[in-house]
Amino acid sequence: MPHQLWITALLNKYFAGVANAILSALHLHSSHPQAPIPNYVAMQIVVFLLLVLVFVLVRTRLSVENPGPLQHVFEGIYGMVDQQGHDIIGDGHARFTNYLSTLGIFILTCNLIGLIPGFEAPTAIPSVPLGCAVVTWIYYHANGIRVNGPGYIKHFLGPMWWLAPLMFPIELASHLARILSLTVRLYANMFAGDMVTLVFLSLFPIGIPVIFMLLHVGVSFIQTYIFVLLATVYIGEAVAHEH
Amino acid sequence: MRKLMIGVLSVLAVSMMTMPAYAQGGAAAPATNWVALASGFGMAIAAGLAGLGQGRVGAAACEGMARNPGARPAVLLALILGLAFIESLVLFTLVIIFVKVA
Repeated sequence: MPHQLWITALLNKYFAGVANAILSALHLHSSHPQAPIPNYVAMQIVVFLLLVLVFVLVRTRLSVENPGPLQHVFEGIYGMVDQQGHDIIGDGHARFTNYLSTLGIFILTCNLIGLIPGFEAPTAIPSVPLGCAVVTWIYYHANGIRVNGPGYIKHFLGPMWWLAPLMFPIELASHLARILSLTVRLYANMFAGDMVTLVFLSLFPIGIPVIFMLLHVGVSFIQTYIFVLLATVYIGEAVAHEH
Repeated sequence: MRKLMIGVLSVLAVSMMTMPAYAQGGAAAPATNWVALASGFGMAIAAGLAGLGQGRVGAAACEGMARNPGARPAVLLALILGLAFIESLVLFTLVIIFVKVA
């Protein structure tokens, strides 16, 4: 039986049957049938429910004449992502702000929830940043095809037609490397933060690890910003209209 | 010249402190953990070179902002992007270490 957080134990107690049924429908089998829901899935469910709660709360309190603090916070986040989209993508950036701000809020909450005792950051497990990276990759390619149509392939062929056989494999490898780099950047920052806190916890149990937890807060914000910024840049490149 | 001699003699003196290691005698020498050794060196080289690179990025950003305070948002964006890219290379090394060191 793997080590379970209290939320994971709770979820496994009530939903182990459902989870096992879903897994066997996909011809997969958990290595621990009594605890099929791993910690990081339980944490993502917690983040999801928390965010839905917050969004519903914001929606009910929206007001034009009398905005409350929650509305100011979310207007600020939306404004920042929109401004970035305007600077980097230019024309038609407004339709991407939804996805980018949700991505940013999700990753930030996933990163920060690791600081609360009894919870762990799901982004410290490689699968979660991989999921975010793959969805972002599919999103920007889908938008590139939507805007450019079949001419999207020209993005991969380089500036001159005779360079195309050389450029196409290079561009393909570089686009696939983007999944790797987005995943590893987020995963390794979160994982390394955990490791460093643990190392210092084993050396000086009192006081010093708090400094590393503060560092973890800073790193969480920066890595979220970088992920959203890079997603914006990739979308901008994909939807750029060829002259 | 005198300082060089003092330096050389102190290194020799410190290396004398390893003498007790040879007193083990008959015990089988433990196999050297080359993977751990290599990962230590690899991580150190990666972190050191990244430090140099990020230092250059930081210096260029400072100079840019000092020369043209109006360009602050653009330079700040390039600074953060540059630092994150270089940092991610170091983290690739760390991930390989965690994958390879048993």
